[in-house]
Order: sequence, then structure tokens, then C-alpha cells
Amino acid sequence: MSDHIALRPGAAPVTNTVATTEPPLIRWLLIGIALGFLGLMLIVPLIAVFTKALEAGMALYLRAILDPAALAAVRLTLLTVAVAIPLNTIFGLAAAWAIAKFEFKGKNLLITLIDLPFAVSPVIAGLIFVSLFGVKGLLGPWLAAQGLKIIFAPPGIILATVFVTFPFVARELIPLMHSLGTVEEEAALILGASGWKTFWHITLPNIKWGLLYGVILTSARAAGEFGAVSVVSGHIRGLTNTLPLHVEILYNEYQFVAAFAVASLLTLMAVITLVAKSIVEWKVQQQLEEAQKK
Amino acid sequence: MSIEIRNINKQFGSFTALKDINLKISTGELVALLGPSGSGKTTLLRIIAGLEVANQGCILFNGEDATSRNVQQRHVGFVFQHYALFRHMTVSENIAFGLKVRPRHTRPSAKEIQAKVQQLLDLIKLEGLANRYPTQLSGGQRQRVALARALAVEPQVLLLDEPFGALDAKVRKELRRWLRRLHDELHVTSVFVTHDQEEALDVADRIVILNDGQIEQMGTPEEVYEHPKSSFVYDFLGNVNLFHGRIHQGRVSIGSIELDVPEYADAVDKQAVSYVRPYNIEIEREAQGQEFIPARILFIRSVGPIVHLELKREDTGDLVEAELSKERYQALQLKAGENVFVKPKDLKIFIHEDYCI
Repeated sequence: MSDHIALRPGAAPVTNTVATTEPPLIRWLLIGIALGFLGLMLIVPLIAVFTKALEAGMALYLRAILDPAALAAVRLTLLTVAVAIPLNTIFGLAAAWAIAKFEFKGKNLLITLIDLPFAVSPVIAGLIFVSLFGVKGLLGPWLAAQGLKIIFAPPGIILATVFVTFPFVARELIPLMHSLGTVEEEAALILGASGWKTFWHITLPNIKWGLLYGVILTSARAAGEFGAVSVVSGHIRGLTNTLPLHVEILYNEYQFVAAFAVASLLTLMAVITLVAKSIVEWKVQQQLEEAQKK
Repeated sequence: MSIEIRNINKQFGSFTALKDINLKISTGELVALLGPSGSGKTTLLRIIAGLEVANQGCILFNGEDATSRNVQQRHVGFVFQHYALFRHMTVSENIAFGLKVRPRHTRPSAKEIQAKVQQLLDLIKLEGLANRYPTQLSGGQRQRVALARALAVEPQVLLLDEPFGALDAKVRKELRRWLRRLHDELHVTSVFVTHDQEEALDVADRIVILNDGQIEQMGTPEEVYEHPKSSFVYDFLGNVNLFHGRIHQGRVSIGSIELDVPEYADAVDKQAVSYVRPYNIEIEREAQGQEFIPARILFIRSVGPIVHLELKREDTGDLVEAELSKERYQALQLKAGENVFVKPKDLKIFIHEDYCI
């Protein structure tokens, strides 16, 4: 899974009037190219993953999935997702709130820094953590003295994943909160609501779809992250392998059926996320339009 | 509840929004803060509400210092310019919000809240729309819901920020009359911000005119309209014509017109500007004395009982606006392009030390 940069919902709707539209030939040509490319690059591989996985029969497929190492990879992946989501939700909310609703020095710097994980290669993200927490890293000797292991252990994997996924919620919420403004919150405060009640009853309901969208993107990326995790993991089978790493190992060992079986699990997760994403995206779009109407 | 504003100063960066504002509003009064945009009127309202903090000065509610009280503790009702209704709540949920969020020991029971909402829905005449969402309401209806929501917590002060600004002319007029009647029933001390002089003159007990962050004048609508203290106030409260002239020892000369102005008895050869309302411009076909100025009619708009004319002075080329009654207009049989004579009556004269146009 490559970078999941959110396409901005809120683009102008396509208006189809005879005067401004292209001739039918060009229209069909463009649609044909788009659909053909999509089919060739996305649909066919998707089908290939599942056919490859089920090629040798259901029994082998199940055995590959139920292999202890595979199950351990599933557990680690789910743990990583489960830690990354709340952390990045809280961070994203705080950052978006600060950026959209306050004026302060260093705001632009903060916005730029939020985008940093998008800008650097995940491999570099992994290396950053190795250089910090590795045996020869800055904090390595101290950690070793405390008996703490971060690199080549689940904490390192979680850290790397959190780093790579932290822009999603914030990026999603900043424009939404900007367009919503602060006036409803002010109204709630004046009516006597405490800060917490204002957040719970006013802010959160207004941003819930945007927040959910950010969370979905975060979880998709957290489950599928390969580069950063690969650097910090150490590839210890059954201990520090997430699903993508497990697929790679199986593949490198020429266990193609097993590799594709596990890959199909990941793909299935991605497809489910995609459907959820589309539904939420549609909701966010609606809300943005409403906010702009006001 | 009475409100007292003492020496309020407010800066936004290097911009001074309010300078030494002193104002007393007594219990049950309906006061309009009137001024052009950027005059600081909304800032003042938000400082009273506690949404904005003044750099200097204090706010007293009922003689008690409320400057350090936060928004929740001030117990004011506030109606926002664009209503700020909670978009994910229905009309009745919006109205009930202020009661529902109270801490448990002061919160009314669900039944009492329901009864209060019903009572307010009756008051704003939206009984049938309790379950609608804000987006399903018209501007005027939203405005009334916003007012009901503010009144639900029984505030002792009601603050309204351009309450009718976003409505069309007819609804605006209806709503402001309705607000006036409501105020007479409830007697809540109310302050509303407006840039519309007609609205302020129509509704308020007292008008506070702000300009450039300072109070230019305050008084009843009659006082400020009949006795404007500055040229700004005169200009702001209605259409005016300007006549430039000179003032010297209590006598002003504007072109061929000479008038006594005893209030400027010690002025020595100063530039003066006199203001005349369009309905104080007399029009004649023949000059009947020195004070008549030759002018040419440029344009006539004769819709309705008042006829509006635009004229050009022959001597200086300045434009003059005039208003005539239909009868007078018909008696004179005026047409565009004709030459006539105009005479300004009831001039308001102000000295401008550094007047420049």
C-alpha cells in the first residue's frame, strides 16, 4: 500500500452543460483510458492476489493463515493499529484545534512539521528511531542499562508506525475546523457550558465524520506500513513481524501460496477500509458543503 | 441588571479598537450601539459578554465588578450575527441546550426543561417547527430560535450582534418591531449592535454612536437626531447635503447666504461646513431673496409620497439632494434639466479645523 494522501473532499462539483462539455468521442476516450488503467493496475492485481492465494486449495490457504507465525503477525499488526489510532487521534485533535482556532507564533512551522512524515521516506523514519534508540543510538546505552528494548521489539514498531501515520487525523481536521469556525463554541460557552461539555456536545458532533475519516486512513496506513517498520523490526518471526513483513519473508522463502494467502488478508483489510472510507468521505463532503452554505 | 463600562480600552496588535469607553446602561433599557463597520461596536459588545478581554478598564454588572468573571459566569444572553445555531441539533434541542448543560444540582428536571422550551417556542411562534434542523429554517426563523435559545437561561442582560443584519428588508422591519415588543414585555436590559441608523432610531431607548473606537454621542433617538454633537453624527444619521463656507465672529457665509451662529461667536475666519437634510431644501422657480442659489435639476425620482431630486449648483457645481412632498412637486411642475433656485433651511454648522475633501 503506497501513501494514502487524502484527496481533498470539497472540490467543485462537476457541472455538465452542453456548452462546456467535450465532444462524446473525447469524453469516452478519457473515461476509457481512466477505467482501462484502473483495471490493469488495480483490479487485475487485486484479483490476482486472491486467485494466487486460493490456487492450491482452501486447505493450504487456511494453513498459511492459521500458522502461528502468521497469527502472531496479525496480533502485532492489530496491536500497532490499536496504539497508533488513539495516540494520533489525540494528537490530531489537539493540533487541528490549535491551528484552526488559535493564532500563535510558530503556527506555520507546526503545519509544516505535521507534513514531515509525508515528506520523508518511511525508511528514513525507521532509521531515525534506530539512531535514537538502537544499541549504538543516542539513548541506546541508557535503555540497555534499564533493560528496555525498543528497537527490534514491538515498541519500536509501534513508534515507527505512529510517526508515519500521525499527519492523517490532523490533516483531515484542520480544513474542517477552519470552515466551522469558533462561533458555535462561543455560543455554547455563553449559554453556560463548560469547556469539556462544549467540546463533547458541540465540537465533537460537528467534526465526527472528518475525525472518523482520519482514523480510517490512519488504521489503513498503520496496518500496511512496511518501510519504517522493516528497519526497526529485525524480522524476528513470531515476535517482531507485522503482516506486511511476514508476507515479505514468506515470499523470500519461495512460499508463494502462503505469501499470497497472508497478502490476501491484508488486501481484504484494505478493501474493507476503502469501503468505510468512501462512506465516511461522502458524509464529510456533505458536512463541508453544509458548513460552507452557512 | 445595570451595566457600567469604565475606561475600556482595547487593542488588537497595533490597532486600537476601543479608546476610553465610558457608558452606563440602566436596568431594563434597550440600547443601540450604532456605528460604521470598524467603529468597535461589536468589540464592545463582546467585551461586555466576556468573549473578548479589554486591555484596560472594567465592566460592572449591578455595581459589582464583573471584569474578571469568565463567559459562563456572566450569565448574559447573546445573539450572534449569523445566529450560530448548533447545526446538529433540532430547534428544541438548541433552545434547551443552556439548561441541559447546567451542573446537576442547578439543572431543572427534564419536564421543566420541556415546559420551558414549549413556552419559548410559543413566544417565538415556531411551535410547529420544534423538530426541524437549523438548515431547514428561513433566516428570520433562525434569528428567532437564536433569541429563544439565549432567553432560555433567563439572562439578566441580552446582547445582540447585528441581530437583523442578514435578513431581507421586510423581515428585518417585522422582527425589530417584534423585538421591541418582546423587550417591553420582558424588560431585560438589552444592548444591540447595528450599523443601520434607521434600525437604531426605530427600536432603541437610547443610541450610543461609535466612531473610530470612541463614543461620538449618546442620547435618545430624538436627541441624537435633532441635536447631533458632531458632523459625523449628523452625517451618519441620515442623508445630508454639504455646504462649505466661512465663519467669522458668529456669522457664517455660505456663498450668498449669511446667517447668525451665536454659538461660534469667537470663531475668527474659520472654514465651516454646514449640513442640511434633503427635506430642508426649499425649491422655487424664482429667486425670492438673497438666500436662493441657482441650480439645475439632474434627476427626479417620484415613486411614493416623497419625490427625490438631484440638483447641481450653478455656482460651485456641487450636487444637492432634495426631497419634496408630492403636492409641492406637482404644484411646481418640475422637470429634469430645468433651472430652479434652492434655499437650504435649518442648517447645522460645524467648524472643521483640518477639514479636507
